[in-house]
Amino acid sequence: MKTVISDWLLFRLLFQPNAVFEELSEIRPEPHSVFFKYVIWLAMAPPLFAYIGASNFGWRIGAATPLHIPSESLVIVSIVYFFALLVGFVSTAVVAKSIAATYGARHSLGIHFALVTIIAAPLAVGSSIHLYPDVFINVLVLIPTLIWSMYLLYKGLPVVLKISPERGMLMASALIGVLLVALVSLLGLSVALWGRGIGPSLGV
Amino acid sequence: MEYYRDRVVRFLVICSIVWAVLGMTVGVYVAAELLWPTIDFGQQWLSFGRLRTLHTNGIIFGFGVSALMGTAFYSVQRTSHVTLFAPRLAWFTAVAWQITVLAGGISLLAGWNAAKEYAELEWPFDILITIAWVSFAIVFFGTITRRKIKQIYVSNWFYGGLIIVIAMLHIVNSLAIPVTLSKSYSLFSGAPDAVVQWWYGHNAVGFLLTGGFLGMMYYFLPKHANRPIWSYRLSIVAFWAFTYSYIWAGPHHLHYSSIPEWVQSLAVAMSLILLAPSWATMINGIMTVSGASQKLRTDPALKFIVLSLAFYGLATFEGPMMAIKSVNVVSHYTDWTIGHVHSGALGWNAMITFGTFYFLVPRLVGAELYSVRLANIHFWLALAGTMLYILAMWGAGISQGLLWLGLDEIGELSFSFKDIMASMPPYYALRFVAGLIFLSGTILMAYNLIMTTKGRKTLQVRPPEATT
Repeated sequence: MKTVISDWLLFRLLFQPNAVFEELSEIRPEPHSVFFKYVIWLAMAPPLFAYIGASNFGWRIGAATPLHIPSESLVIVSIVYFFALLVGFVSTAVVAKSIAATYGARHSLGIHFALVTIIAAPLAVGSSIHLYPDVFINVLVLIPTLIWSMYLLYKGLPVVLKISPERGMLMASALIGVLLVALVSLLGLSVALWGRGIGPSLGV
Repeated sequence: MEYYRDRVVRFLVICSIVWAVLGMTVGVYVAAELLWPTIDFGQQWLSFGRLRTLHTNGIIFGFGVSALMGTAFYSVQRTSHVTLFAPRLAWFTAVAWQITVLAGGISLLAGWNAAKEYAELEWPFDILITIAWVSFAIVFFGTITRRKIKQIYVSNWFYGGLIIVIAMLHIVNSLAIPVTLSKSYSLFSGAPDAVVQWWYGHNAVGFLLTGGFLGMMYYFLPKHANRPIWSYRLSIVAFWAFTYSYIWAGPHHLHYSSIPEWVQSLAVAMSLILLAPSWATMINGIMTVSGASQKLRTDPALKFIVLSLAFYGLATFEGPMMAIKSVNVVSHYTDWTIGHVHSGALGWNAMITFGTFYFLVPRLVGAELYSVRLANIHFWLALAGTMLYILAMWGAGISQGLLWLGLDEIGELSFSFKDIMASMPPYYALRFVAGLIFLSGTILMAYNLIMTTKGRKTLQVRPPEATT
């Protein structure tokens, strides 16, 4: 089995997702090569866009004046954001690998790294909307992006992991459950940190 | 020779579907009112305050409880191998309940309101509810008493817990002095009133919207998947852990208020403990279904149940998290709470009920589902509607939480309530669209199930002869 992912994989994902799934189903990538070739760069995009957007314009959360965060605080937030994305990526892939056994799917770590990469790719690209830091516009752009990601997950998972579409549906739903919980914990954690004076200044 | 009493089940299922369409339509209408406030046309009965209570009561007591009564009657007969005890009383329960909710709904539109959330109905309706509920209890426990199977199956523990706890909550919280036909005053006042109210409110969520529907899950999921529950022992342990810890969690609705600090802390602790039995149940459900994936090909209903378990996992995680005081300080009084409620109500309660109805209704009349394709479309509409709803409310809630508390350079609050609310329409538009999507799926289901049952008689099924 090949271990090398062909170049332009993510680009082709946009136009020929099925061909990409088929290709991935035939290779056995190494986790570190996926991580250094794709993941690091993709994970760098959202914090970078967010930093540029927030430092130049400030976040608009609806009310008249944009919310400005001091620049040193902004650097810290962006770096934390970057590492949080990496931790989120690795833990999602590890969770996917560990539940794969239940569904009789392929469970090499490398293939799960690759799978999560292609699912997350649209979100990384969509995060360019952080350049325009208006919460509502961001929600408006990221929701269709999220739907595209979910489509890739449901469609791609059974092909890449070589299981029946029915089992793929179950496993994809289980992953959605895990990701929703991860997302809401991230929300809760951020809110708890704001309350402790990290981030925007709140009257708590 | 007696047959299972399934006509009353069919009646309750139909009522539940009617309430689902009606309640969700009202929900979409109040969502539209938050965008276009003038669509109440100056009519008091069309105002947000009155329609919103009709929405919550119609969904919880009309859609939810009718579904629970119907499925309880269906499953208790089959898990006990006997027909319903006091079948006439069962019919009385079903009809009395519908009349109470319908008349109660009209009274809400007329402006009768006991000023307690989810217990808005005034004292005459409280008495009617009590009568119908006690009849429900007599039929259910009467059937259990004459069962021919020694063991009481776990779904019946959950349904039984629902009946007992809701009776207790409803009677205590509704204690009031009537002044006129349409107005009464609660026996409790001040902080104790708030504590009693949220002891009621949160445990209604717990034992009705969680426990009752878990009863539904524990009977219909194994039936669907055609295999026993993954761990029966875990289900029983989870039942008792759930029952013990849930009852204490109510005061987390009253953080930073004038109730004693220790009561708030106790509620936080119990809310966090609650995660364990909730997730034990979720894992039990997921493991049960994971061995039956081949059924997904022919059975669209199973998809709803799989997804409902994912949202159950989300809602039961999010709830304890929002009960933590340092999260609650931002999340409380924002639309995040509304989003949380709907991740449970749409994602868990409605989806598991849809899945159950798609399974149950064809079996009640001995026919195939009218259209599997429509059911599949309904599935994607329900998923899209729920996701969009939750995301819109997360966005709105986090924004509100930040803005309520935002400080300027001299430490004063930066934004007025009016300014903050004026920035909300985009989120409320998203929520309105989400509601429309979800409602259209429900209407598809109603059509599909009507076509399935049309012109068909309820199947007559006998209990098994030989039992152990």
